[in-house]
Amino acid sequence: MNKLQRKYKILLPGVFLFLVLLVACGKKFLNKPPQGTLNPSIVANKDGVQGILIGAYSGLDGEGLNNSGWGSAASNWTYGEVAADNAYKGSTASDQGDVVGLFQWNATPTNGYVSNKWDAMYDAIQRCNDVIRTMRQAKDISGADTVEFKAEALFLRGFYYFELRKIFHYPSWVDESVTFSNNNFRVPNVDGSGNYVEIWPKIEADFQYAMANLPATQPNKGQANKYAAEAFLAKVYMFEQQYDKAAPLLDDLITNGVTAHGDKYALQTNYSTNFDPDPGAKNNPESVFAAQMSVNDGSAAAGSGNGNYGDVLNFPYGGGPGACCGFFNPSQDLANAYKTDANGLPLLGTAFQAGANVSDGTAGQYTGNLDPRIDISIGRAGIPYLDWGPHPGDSWIRSTGDDGHFSPKKNVYAKSQQGTLSDVENNWANVELDANNVNLIRFADVLLWRAECYVLGSAVDLAKAEALVNQVRTRAANPNWWVYKDGAFDAATYTYKGGTIPADNYKISVYPLGYFANAAIAMAAIEMERRLELAMEGHRFFDLQRWQVAFPGSMTAILNTYAQIQAPIHPAQYKNVTFTTGKSEYFPIPQDQIDANNASGKVVLKQIPGY
Amino acid sequence: MPSKTNGACKGYGLGVIALLLSFSLFAQTTITGRVIGKLDNQPVLGATVQVKGSKAATSTGADGTFSLKLPGNNANPTLVITAIGFEQFQIPVAGRTSLGDLSLTQSNSTLNDVIVTGYTAQKKKDITGAVAVVDIKNMKSVPGSTTESLLQGQAAGVTVINSGQPGGGSNVRIRGITSNGNVDPLVIVDGVQGSLHDLNQADIESIQVLKDAGATAIYGVQGSNGVIVVTTKRGKGKATITYDGFYGTQRPLKNGFRLGGSQNYADVLWLESYNEGTVPGNLWFGKGGATYAPPTLPDYLSPTPYSDANGTPNPSYTANQNPGAYDIVNNQITKTNKVGTDWFHEIFKPAPWQQHSISASGSSDKSSYYFSLNYLNDQGTLIDTYLKRYAVRANTVFNVKNHVRIGENAYIFFKENPQITNQNEGNAISYAYRIPPLVPVYDVVGNYAGTHSFTINNSAQPVAVQERQKDNKGNDWQISGNVFAEVDFLNHFTARSSVGGTVDNYYYYYFNYTPYENAEGSTAQNGFTEGGGYNNTVIWTNTLNYSQTFGDHSLKVLVGTEAKNYSGRGLQGQRANYFSTNPDYWTLETGSPSTQANRGLTTAYNAGDPYQNSIWSYLGRLDYAFKDKYLVSGTLRRDASSKFSPGHQVGWFPSVSLGWRISQEDFMKDVTWLNDLKLRGSWGKSGNLGNVNSTNPYNLFGSNAYNSYYDISGSSTGSTLGFYASNLGNPATTWEKDNLTDVGVDFTVKHFDVTVDWFKKSISGLLFTSPGTAFIGGAALPQVNLGDIQNVGFDGSITYHGQVNRDFHFDITGTFTHYSSKVISLPPGIKYVDYTNAGSNRIGSFTRFQPGQPIGEFYGYKVDGYFKDDADVQKSPTQANAAPGFFKYDDVNHSGAITDSDRTWIGNPNPKLTYGLNLAASYKGFDFAAFFYGSYGQDIFNYVKYWTALPQVFQGNVYADLIQNSWSPTNLNPKYPKISTVSGFSNTNVINSWYVEKGSYLRLKSLTIGYTIDPNLLKRVGIDRLRIYLQGANLFTVTPYKGLDPELQGANLSDQTNFGIDLGNYPANQKTYVLGINLTF
Repeated sequence: MNKLQRKYKILLPGVFLFLVLLVACGKKFLNKPPQGTLNPSIVANKDGVQGILIGAYSGLDGEGLNNSGWGSAASNWTYGEVAADNAYKGSTASDQGDVVGLFQWNATPTNGYVSNKWDAMYDAIQRCNDVIRTMRQAKDISGADTVEFKAEALFLRGFYYFELRKIFHYPSWVDESVTFSNNNFRVPNVDGSGNYVEIWPKIEADFQYAMANLPATQPNKGQANKYAAEAFLAKVYMFEQQYDKAAPLLDDLITNGVTAHGDKYALQTNYSTNFDPDPGAKNNPESVFAAQMSVNDGSAAAGSGNGNYGDVLNFPYGGGPGACCGFFNPSQDLANAYKTDANGLPLLGTAFQAGANVSDGTAGQYTGNLDPRIDISIGRAGIPYLDWGPHPGDSWIRSTGDDGHFSPKKNVYAKSQQGTLSDVENNWANVELDANNVNLIRFADVLLWRAECYVLGSAVDLAKAEALVNQVRTRAANPNWWVYKDGAFDAATYTYKGGTIPADNYKISVYPLGYFANAAIAMAAIEMERRLELAMEGHRFFDLQRWQVAFPGSMTAILNTYAQIQAPIHPAQYKNVTFTTGKSEYFPIPQDQIDANNASGKVVLKQIPGY
Repeated sequence: MPSKTNGACKGYGLGVIALLLSFSLFAQTTITGRVIGKLDNQPVLGATVQVKGSKAATSTGADGTFSLKLPGNNANPTLVITAIGFEQFQIPVAGRTSLGDLSLTQSNSTLNDVIVTGYTAQKKKDITGAVAVVDIKNMKSVPGSTTESLLQGQAAGVTVINSGQPGGGSNVRIRGITSNGNVDPLVIVDGVQGSLHDLNQADIESIQVLKDAGATAIYGVQGSNGVIVVTTKRGKGKATITYDGFYGTQRPLKNGFRLGGSQNYADVLWLESYNEGTVPGNLWFGKGGATYAPPTLPDYLSPTPYSDANGTPNPSYTANQNPGAYDIVNNQITKTNKVGTDWFHEIFKPAPWQQHSISASGSSDKSSYYFSLNYLNDQGTLIDTYLKRYAVRANTVFNVKNHVRIGENAYIFFKENPQITNQNEGNAISYAYRIPPLVPVYDVVGNYAGTHSFTINNSAQPVAVQERQKDNKGNDWQISGNVFAEVDFLNHFTARSSVGGTVDNYYYYYFNYTPYENAEGSTAQNGFTEGGGYNNTVIWTNTLNYSQTFGDHSLKVLVGTEAKNYSGRGLQGQRANYFSTNPDYWTLETGSPSTQANRGLTTAYNAGDPYQNSIWSYLGRLDYAFKDKYLVSGTLRRDASSKFSPGHQVGWFPSVSLGWRISQEDFMKDVTWLNDLKLRGSWGKSGNLGNVNSTNPYNLFGSNAYNSYYDISGSSTGSTLGFYASNLGNPATTWEKDNLTDVGVDFTVKHFDVTVDWFKKSISGLLFTSPGTAFIGGAALPQVNLGDIQNVGFDGSITYHGQVNRDFHFDITGTFTHYSSKVISLPPGIKYVDYTNAGSNRIGSFTRFQPGQPIGEFYGYKVDGYFKDDADVQKSPTQANAAPGFFKYDDVNHSGAITDSDRTWIGNPNPKLTYGLNLAASYKGFDFAAFFYGSYGQDIFNYVKYWTALPQVFQGNVYADLIQNSWSPTNLNPKYPKISTVSGFSNTNVINSWYVEKGSYLRLKSLTIGYTIDPNLLKRVGIDRLRIYLQGANLFTVTPYKGLDPELQGANLSDQTNFGIDLGNYPANQKTYVLGINLTF
């Protein structure tokens, strides 16, 4: 027994000592930092802030953001075009059913698409705010650099707010003081008395700071410069009907404006160049500011990708480029708008809606003159579809009863670019993911705004307005880029080389001197020119929205007429559909956000009128 | 630094084992004997033979014999023989060396059964916690490849929902739903955290389910979801070789989705337009006439007969039918299947199922060993799904003298288990109802045909989807187990140290083919993805046990420490544009280099982000009994977890439980009909940290090519590095806290054993994504401890032991479980949370999580019927796109208009009661078993109807009875709304009660007839036992539900907010027939 007791004498202290050691190693044992992430202190320096700024730019494509999806597409194809008179949703009736509420102008606050846009834009805004917040923590950033960082961040923030303002009317203003840890993330869109707060002045202020502090040129083509800020500021004024404030900025842009690369702003010789995904064609002198798209950069394998993911649904169905999904079909109304008269002038107002339809496949379809821009904007039967061969018509349409007869074209890449400028990474949408930039402002847009200012501003000069419109039409009349039946599409120039037989009866000319006899004719011509020139680029609904303010009831009339014309051919979409003045100009603020902001019972975030 | 420290800690672990091993003791003499049952004179396997008052013990082998070395320090030793199902038996050795045959009396009482609970083992009569003991024999009467699936109906308080997928997971809930996230119970195999999923069932000795805090609180922060304790077999008695095996066949469901054929489908497409007053037209059926007439099916889908929807004939229709014109891109010549392809039975085929297990085991007083080999090949009825598993187990224990035991448990397996993502609109099962019947399986040259030839619909081709998986690889190797040492000292103490865990290595690759046959993606590039990774768990447990009896007082104390370390990483690479799709060509080198993409992490195979976390714990337990009738038990655990920030890492988890064995009281002694009566009660706390990430305390930035990179230079093919705020931290977050109260009673009356428990389980500090707004930005909000859930329920089991005569015995066991899980409160600022389904989100969120309501309840518009006519539309509350034949929603708030706020509760997927009934009988050599399982009172959201009864949605296939049972002016209250092209709020676009159906069911899960050949006949050939059995599974299901199967898992098993939703489940109710053999020699 003695021997045994000796053993326990060793064992018990041994166990005790061992337990003490256990306690000692316990603390470090519990130190397990998260993997694959960056502590904020690692990015609080110049390179880190630069990276955060890139992260803020990356929101321009509308994707890879909080709750982003096709509802947050950079092109705004749903809000800007489908909800207007330029395009149908496409696909089958209930595919992406949330879009139905958008184009029937009765979206509910629980609509998923509006949620996409709202959430994504505020994510992008907080990325801009992160630049400012982190910049202030950094110790190696010079004063000049902080101004540059801030100017770029505010430019982007201004842009994202612009998106929110034109879609939601009364978004809340979230600046860099709003954070989760500050617990001030319930931000009102109303003042103390419950009246909505207009955020245009704050958007102006962001662009003004950017314009004052950004250099004229930048190291990167995709970066914002002084003139990009100036153009957006002018656009803000256009939306505020402050033509006299916009005019001098637009003049400065036309006279002195250069791209980030230092090229003087100018219309491209070839209209089609604007839709070419080639890096040599993108960011050309006509591209005032664009959302940059890139493919085969390792991003699509990881998620939605840096290509034009917002538009991946918008390809012909069942053939041609892309393998999916038959959305965003140009409307019959848009096709008809390209009719021109014997003189090559558009049929203004509602005149184009009379008579036979363009390319509707019936025996009696329209055979008259057309603006050649139709075949850059619209894929239609028998017309060469870039180098994909002639558009075969209905066999590329997913459901003709729902979608009509046309395919989108401006966001589509050429066959000879497939695999280099379209994606090849493992991703369900790789064939539709392309490097086509989304042009946020084109120089043609600037020229047409200036024309509008000459009509609606205090210094009326209809001749100058006409000259500006004609500048756009002159380029449209250049047969170099027209679509030819017999020309071989050349992806290098994005033209149908060697073609001599135009694909259709193209006839276009400038307005004869003095055609803009009065403001009404001038505005009708400008409105039509904007529609024809910028079709399918996400602007139409917002132009109508601006003009609804300038000419009350104009948007209501246009869209209700449109719905009535569509109802017999697309009853599932347009039967008994009405646009309501004072409501349908905007889309509802997401219900979950209203609930989250008003959780305490106090109305912090107030739904916009009509919803 | 941390890894070095961890290494040091592990070093101590091995040190202490070495220390424990440095013991030595004594020498002995040997006694032998054979244990038989008094009633049948059959040998008793696994009886424990122990020297009274000593640790010296052995167990009997298959022939009932034992051999035990007696310790030399006892002059007149007595042997105590215990065996499950028999009364205890004592016999003094009295100097003999052989005791001959010892007959044990069969017992109906299980009171002396030893039950393994938390870190210790107790006799059933002493247990004060709620512990369900699974009858392993009953459990194995159902064929199943995963052990968790077999718990269904076998343990009171456990609700299990299975699918038919080989190797598929199960929803296992112990006493309700304790979280909106993962509620998987903690599984302890041989004392170490493990998994039920891939266990070889032949290795299982016992399974206990710990349900109340009295039993689970000792598992602290991991105990909240309940604990399942598994013990695997040890060698017993003489060397024995056992073979268990079966071969069977699984049969696909006969009816499938009850869909119609080609003409029915075409008629519906036409009716859609005519019902809306328009004339239909498409490239296949041409243009309809002025009034409805059934369309004529074309001979070919491709080439198309018409060139446009106006019915203009396709000029090259005939010419392009010439095989010479075949072009897979532009002219994939495809004949119409005019009868209709039965897609369900194209992908579901009869499938074989086999399992073979051989074990060798034995023991002596020096050591015991158990060694087994297992091969499982469960071919799913869905083509190209299977589970193949090869497993080896080696359990050994060495007795060093009588006071030291060292041993190990090791389980090693390799498996291949290609699965589908079940309950998902994008899997082959869903495509089977989404693809039109006109499409044949193959085109004229034998390539897959699909919707590329019939672009009205966009479904992928189900056969192609499955067959293209067949060359993919998904391999998994795992080693789990532990090494341990135990030392008995000072008579009453036992020290134990164990180092164990799991090493899991997985490897996979898969090829994405160009789906040329599909309407969508027909020109997409092919691609190849390859990856692998590991998950490691290391657990080091040290316990010290003290056990002593002083007169009427009996005391047991346990103290211990435990360190757990979890880590895992994975990597994945991919390339695209492979020149050849031949599997021999697939490597990451051979794809096009410009398409290369690497990931340091992977979402495949559940690997998720790289992770590391740890738990460091102290634990203690005290059991006290007075006169064997007043029982008190207390446990306390202190856990510290690395997932939380310093200051919030530590938690204390106490429990106390009481038992009163009333039947031991003097005043009950005369009540002879009552064999045993025990009242139990317990209260305690446990926790759950399964639903929080290690990133939770921190504000973090991240970097991801698609989230934060941007092509700032305009290159079109490259992007610049950027960052984004990825995480917002909450340093105050801690685990979910469970408060459990349990009251139970166990009693034995004549032939009945009854256990009933009532429980209340309140979860406070439920981990919930912090309230926030979109104004915060995109960084992930932290989990915060806000929100409460309460589960109340009862469960129990009743067993009846029947004995008609010497030859005919039977047992009946019923279990029942009821829970109601209710959300009590949410964080301030959150009124509700809507949860979208992982399988499909086309019509919004199916469920809402809101205080006062059960978890997982369906939320949407209540359908009051159909609009009768235009007048009805006019006089009803305003409703978007209202029309005759469309749903008329209930104006819940009487506002005169149907708006978002008219949504209400439309169905509860939680069953009111689940129950199991085992019947077992034996007559002479025959045995018979039947197992019924039922689930009563749950609702099902039959989302399949979205695709099959609303043809305008995606023009998928439709029900065979759609036309006669859909709305028309003469059929005002049918099953289905008007067939229409119109799609909107009033028919297709929102969640409503039309989808909700009753889902109760009763199923004969299995029926077994076995015959054991008389052992005396087999003795000559050296066989101890041979049993042959025939088994049928899922022979019938009684249910009003018309979908494939009313047993419906969630699309994501780690999400308790969406279940009971039918997206075309891999059915769990397929008939299976099995022939099996049990052989021992």
